[in-house]
Amino acid sequence: MSLALNAQLLFSGVSVGSVYALVALGLVMPFKAAGIVNFAQGELVMVGAYIALFLSVGLHLPFHLVVPITMALAAGFGIAIERAFIRPVMRAPEFTIVVATLAVGLMLKNGVRLIWQDNLYPLAVPFSTDVLALGPVRINPLLLYMDGTAIVLMALLALFFRFTRQGKAMRAVAQNPEGARLMGIRVSWVFSATWALSTAMAATAGMLLGALFGIHPEMGHVLIKAFVAAVVGGFVSLPGAVLGGVLVGVAETFSGAYVGSTFKDVVAFLLLIGVLLLRPHGLLGTPLARRV
Amino acid sequence: MSRTIVTLAFLGATLGLGVTLPAHAVDGVSDDTVTIGAFGPITGPAAFIGLGGRDGMNLAAKEVNAAGGIHGRRLRILFEDDAHSPSRALAAVKKLVDQDRVFMIFSVAGSNSTVGVIDFVKERQVPMYVSIASAPQVTQPFSKYLFRGGTTEAARYGEIYSEFLTQGLGARRIGFISGRDEFSKNEADAVIRYLRSWFNQEPVKRVEFNIGDKDFTPQLLELKQANPDVIMISGHPAEGAIILRQARELGLNQKFFGSGTMVDNSIPANAKSAAEGFMAAWLTPLYFGSRHPDMVKFETAWRREYPNMPAGRPNVFDLLGYGDLHVVAEGLRRAGPDLTRDKFIAALETLRNWRVSMVATPRTFTPEHHIGNLSLQIMEVKNGEWTPLAWESKRPSDILKHLKK
Repeated sequence: MSLALNAQLLFSGVSVGSVYALVALGLVMPFKAAGIVNFAQGELVMVGAYIALFLSVGLHLPFHLVVPITMALAAGFGIAIERAFIRPVMRAPEFTIVVATLAVGLMLKNGVRLIWQDNLYPLAVPFSTDVLALGPVRINPLLLYMDGTAIVLMALLALFFRFTRQGKAMRAVAQNPEGARLMGIRVSWVFSATWALSTAMAATAGMLLGALFGIHPEMGHVLIKAFVAAVVGGFVSLPGAVLGGVLVGVAETFSGAYVGSTFKDVVAFLLLIGVLLLRPHGLLGTPLARRV
Repeated sequence: MSRTIVTLAFLGATLGLGVTLPAHAVDGVSDDTVTIGAFGPITGPAAFIGLGGRDGMNLAAKEVNAAGGIHGRRLRILFEDDAHSPSRALAAVKKLVDQDRVFMIFSVAGSNSTVGVIDFVKERQVPMYVSIASAPQVTQPFSKYLFRGGTTEAARYGEIYSEFLTQGLGARRIGFISGRDEFSKNEADAVIRYLRSWFNQEPVKRVEFNIGDKDFTPQLLELKQANPDVIMISGHPAEGAIILRQARELGLNQKFFGSGTMVDNSIPANAKSAAEGFMAAWLTPLYFGSRHPDMVKFETAWRREYPNMPAGRPNVFDLLGYGDLHVVAEGLRRAGPDLTRDKFIAALETLRNWRVSMVATPRTFTPEHHIGNLSLQIMEVKNGEWTPLAWESKRPSDILKHLKK
């Protein structure tokens, strides 16, 4: 294939990868802050998209209001989920918490179905979607927003975890909740804040995905690839989540073009196995040190 | 004395029951109700098929019941979701037949699920009226228990599309992007088969995708390299809208032609300007928004029944489910008050060009074939609206000719 086609494949791969990265960031965030692997994250993406749809189509709000209100409502929704379903099982084994998040995801998906059924809804955005030409590469501006949002969110979260008291408190709670509590950190507040933040991020991803592909109860399926991206990146690393997402997206797109479209869905999992064999802690994760 | 009275009373009761039992001996038929089991996908990526089919079917049943039912019996419909999975469809139909004991099965499921239940309904000798599925297995080999309504044969898609692409559009280089599900695969296979046998043409490229895919860049770039005159998308509207948008973004300026499922308002709603000039086939004589009184009547009734539906509804599946449930009702009417499955099958086989109104194509069934519809209308998106093209197929179909051999 020509250089131009490879450049196009690279851009498309990065763009698909940034979708995975956005969702993967929402997976890494509660794990980093509270040690929870949230398998409802895909459905939280979907709920965010439906909130935006309701505000946009149901209440006819302009898009510049839809975005912040959706994020705020999603944050509140995240807190409600944490209080109602996750906090009661926080002292249970990790597996129980994972199953609880799966159950929350199923409830959300079927709850949305009860209201909107499985119809495909478009989400209108006010900015131009005219294709940009960058040399031989043709670019949908929405994909640029997607790429940009993933990078900006990653940077903001990294700064939040590194420099703010709340971010440090979250990291402390993830490492040792009891120790953090003894140091005066309100662990319950940290859990709620984590869910609020990760659900608001999911809603952001949901709005972008909805604008690109339409809104549908199954749109949370992107979680599987996002999970692969997060594991490839190291699961506790925010830059790792973005890198993992981009790697999975690029690998899928190139394998689809060079090996065949059937191979597209296989390559993400081959990449996962390969990375885990060579670096069990992921590309940017740190190996667990255990004092003996 | 008292023993004699008891014995006589018992005999009388038994005889009385004996007189009345045969009227209720048919599964799903009582004095005041005929119970129909229906299935289709109302969850998952193909839900747009089942939701439309179910809602159209229920609207028709409501109309039939409002008009007094059939021979004093109301239609009662039990619906099961199959999520577009053949195994779930089989479980659903087994439940409907064995547990709910329905009179017949009505499929609004699409090919993927319908093929999963064909052997079961044949074995149990339960009539199945397939409203939505073009899979060849429904009508070939012939089974007296299987009828296909509004959707036509996959082979008929092949005949009409190959003629339209080569004669209507004058295409010499045709590329294909097709889904891996049963319907899309069968449809693209049929078009390629007729391109070869009728017009001696080979496709320049065929690439595939999965239902639910969101990125088609690799496939579209492969097609771009093959440089076709026309690209046919064989699949469903959700993927079709993304393919159209991504194709234009990637600089593919060819004409696009789509499946029999793609004349759907969700295509211009989601693909926006990229849908302009897109052509596809439509399975009824009139399109939504037509001022024909039959379409006005249908749309008014539908919107009264289902307010607040999204862009894209009602869709072709609403019309197919609606038209075909009325066909079933006509079959029940012709079968007479002493309803049995054999009488119902024989009654359906008397239908010649029957339809409820102009919102449906005429259906014909005979003892030799159960292929209800062989006609299609080509449509094009113009200014964001689906509009009929004047083109008509001139070549006679081989399908019924082959069946008779």
